[in-house]
Amino acid sequence: MDYLIQDFRAAYAELRGDRLAETLRPDVQAYPSKLLSVWGRGNYRDVKGDLSFLFYNNLPRSGLSISRDEAAGWIEVYLAYWKALGLILAAEGIRDNDQSSWEKVYEAWKDLTLQIIRGYTNHDFENWTIPCLYIAGKYLRQFAIRADEERKNSNEYSDAAVMQDDFDPESEEHKLLEDCARHLNRIFQTCLNDRAPLEESRKWGIYYAINLLFKTYFKLNSASLSKNVLMAISAGRGDMPTLDKFPKSQQVTFKYYEGVLSFLEENYVEAEKHLTMAWHMCHKDAKRNLELILTYLVPCHLLTTHTLPSPQLLEPFPRLQRLFLPLATAIKKADLRAFDIALRDGEDEFIRRRIYLTLERGRDIALRNLLRRVFIAGGFEEAKDGAQPVRRTRVPVAEFTAAVKISGGEDIDSDEVECLMANMIYKNLMKGYIAHERGFVVLSKNGAFPGTGV
Amino acid sequence: MIPVHSMSWAESASPSLQAPSYTYPSTMSPAYTPVSVRQGFGQAYTPQSDYYASSTNSFNSPTMAPSSSDQQPQQQKFDWPDSVRSYVQRSFQSSNVDPSVSDTEIKAKLKETIRYTQDCGTMYTTDWDNMPLPQVMIKTQRRQELMQSAAAPPTVAESDRPTTVSASSNPKKRKSSDLSGPEPLGTTTVPWRSGKTLEDRITKPSNTMDSPLAAKSKFQKNAEKRLRRGDGGYQSTYRSPSPPLPTGPIVGLNENLEKRYLRLTAAPKPSDVRPEHVLHKTLDLLKKKWRKDGNYNYICDQFKSLRQDLTVQRIKNEFTVSVYEIHARIALEKGDLGEYNQCQTQLRALYRAGVKGNAIEFKAYRILYFIHTANRTALNDAIADLTAAEKEEIPIKHALSVRSALALGNYHKFFQLYLDVPNMGAYLIDMFVKRERLAALANMCKAFKPDLKLRYISEELGFESDTEAAQFIIDHAGHDMLQERPDHVIFLTGKAGQLFEEARAEAFRRVDLKGQI
Repeated sequence: MDYLIQDFRAAYAELRGDRLAETLRPDVQAYPSKLLSVWGRGNYRDVKGDLSFLFYNNLPRSGLSISRDEAAGWIEVYLAYWKALGLILAAEGIRDNDQSSWEKVYEAWKDLTLQIIRGYTNHDFENWTIPCLYIAGKYLRQFAIRADEERKNSNEYSDAAVMQDDFDPESEEHKLLEDCARHLNRIFQTCLNDRAPLEESRKWGIYYAINLLFKTYFKLNSASLSKNVLMAISAGRGDMPTLDKFPKSQQVTFKYYEGVLSFLEENYVEAEKHLTMAWHMCHKDAKRNLELILTYLVPCHLLTTHTLPSPQLLEPFPRLQRLFLPLATAIKKADLRAFDIALRDGEDEFIRRRIYLTLERGRDIALRNLLRRVFIAGGFEEAKDGAQPVRRTRVPVAEFTAAVKISGGEDIDSDEVECLMANMIYKNLMKGYIAHERGFVVLSKNGAFPGTGV
Repeated sequence: MIPVHSMSWAESASPSLQAPSYTYPSTMSPAYTPVSVRQGFGQAYTPQSDYYASSTNSFNSPTMAPSSSDQQPQQQKFDWPDSVRSYVQRSFQSSNVDPSVSDTEIKAKLKETIRYTQDCGTMYTTDWDNMPLPQVMIKTQRRQELMQSAAAPPTVAESDRPTTVSASSNPKKRKSSDLSGPEPLGTTTVPWRSGKTLEDRITKPSNTMDSPLAAKSKFQKNAEKRLRRGDGGYQSTYRSPSPPLPTGPIVGLNENLEKRYLRLTAAPKPSDVRPEHVLHKTLDLLKKKWRKDGNYNYICDQFKSLRQDLTVQRIKNEFTVSVYEIHARIALEKGDLGEYNQCQTQLRALYRAGVKGNAIEFKAYRILYFIHTANRTALNDAIADLTAAEKEEIPIKHALSVRSALALGNYHKFFQLYLDVPNMGAYLIDMFVKRERLAALANMCKAFKPDLKLRYISEELGFESDTEAAQFIIDHAGHDMLQERPDHVIFLTGKAGQLFEEARAEAFRRVDLKGQI
């Protein structure tokens, strides 16, 4: 316990929240022996005694003012921490004990989290100590994930799968993570509902909490719960400090999730705004984060501006190159068949990242490019006296049909081609109209293909 | 006559198995075919309009299922088998002590567990050596209660569609169902699961295209979502108050083939439950009756009670699968998406647990269903779930083609696919055919000028006849858009554009599809 006590004293003296949080970090990989010594001999009474000494004797004597109320809160926190630590050390195999499991660890850490939350609601913890909440939340999530995995691999799980009539494999898979989500929500609420003036407010922890929540909800596949968080934040906007006042890392993460959420709802204009912001703010060395942002920004851009990523953009990201370049090339070359193949090849990965449904709309762009070529290939009409020569605007449907057949590599009837063209016109990718009876498409003289210079 | 749904299903006053005195509130725009609790045979189906005493989430007051022991004569002197004695001993052993569970709690739980097996007559057959200890049961229970009471923000549910009014008399399509009375289904909720159905997360209110009132209360959506998650009701009562019950399932003794459906509020008496061999005969009887009479309310009621009997006896085999499949198909035929969904959920769990059935057929239905509700996330996940081999199976391939045709607005291809749908998928597609027609017409109005032959439209959009096509146009754009020519009728695309655009926006708004960019 000595380590802990020293660290606590030091951190508290300097009002360093981050150092204080370090006293609660259960990083057994990094410093196992230190944590083992905190665990000591596993004697609860000893530990309780040590802590009481720290708070009721030692601290006051060294001149650190801490109210009895707050002290009581911290004692509970550290007791819970100590208990959890014992289980963690056992589960990691550093300590000999077969009573532990990740599920037990999760439960114990949950207790710790609740104690910390209570510290803020009941024991008057000050807001500079907020990093403790972060650490609790962060590890709560990690332990939940580990515990869920452990459950999945246990016998009990497979037995239950067969035995219980109400067993729903999907719901059981993330049982603890869902529980964790609820507690993270409480952390969020604790930050949100603080009425203290801004300098002392817990509101400063809000984006950290939100990002934790987002991560969890995304893993749980729950976009609507995420939306609720967004709504809560915009509702409480009045006295909430604006996003730009928070640390950049939190801003980037938040914008990223906001962007992805909009993206998933097909709100591509919104999504693009958020993701672009995240992209600009993101640190240039945070390769993984940049990659993630681009994964959604590229398809988004494709739909909003009909443009493709340049090779230079994708150069530092080989994974994205593999994903997007074949598609981009096919679209540029107006090669429908290549597009279909590229889409099918990448299907699994696209689906995993939930961008498949967006990317498939790229086919429209490819088709547009194809029709444009037919238009251009049609050449110019005779110029009226003095006027500029104008491209032939009356294109037989048959020509389009032929083009689609060649590009797509398979047969297609002209009715379907007309349907595809109707879509082009409807989506403003092509301007004109179809004279069905005569078998012609009449394109607009000015800007038949908006945005492409023709 | 617009009632309000309550957030959950309150328990009826008396937790007995006798006919509960509750009924369910009616919905104003039912998204599913509600089925009333039949009060007796031979009566005509009458809508009930009693209101439901609403209460808040009352699942927090668990009625211990085995507390029916209170109704039993007290203290039957039993000679307890050794396995039971040793179970009791183990519960109190120091090595099994759990600090969070007190001795009193253990004693109470022991009493309850043992009494229950006595009531079911399974005390001697239960495997006490492998029975979870009372401490474990209590903790599981606590966890469940915590999840129930934890506030999960209400989520917007994907919901079911109402039955569409199919104007055609095609034998393959059924007539508009008798949605006469506002009758919700008798299912209970799984309140703590409101955070789940994670895949349905993203979307959006139901399409109540055919109903005059679009707004759906949030609760309604949740209720529908619960229904869709579909335990069929009796299961959740069974599970929530008590921990996973001991290994011995009930074995029924009821020899009657038919049985009306009653929602369970406590453990059922074996004398009420039909054993499996009786249920087989019941299924045969029901099949005959369905073919002969076609009385959906009766059939649905009977099927629900059949499913219930299977559940309480823990029968999860191919027979169970076939029961759910048959009910699902009947529900589809009748456009009862609520019931269909319950069955679909159960089937999915059964298939995943390895029970054989027509998994391919139903996977294809799932895809079509998600297209209908425009649930992108679920669709994405459903596709992710498919193996490469499955994607080549005809029903699934068809469903995927429908999806991709619609994604790009290829109405031509879509309606061609509509002409020939494997299995009963056509009934699902029926649900959204109208909105796709509106979309197609909006497209065509903008692209084809100045007019189009009616014949072309009716062929492109899969109408049964020119007359049907004409009727559709008139319904949405009035008579002026059609004009007669010497030997055919034309549709004035130029003028009708705006009208169809609005109709299209309306139809898709209900399902909250963001249009295409």
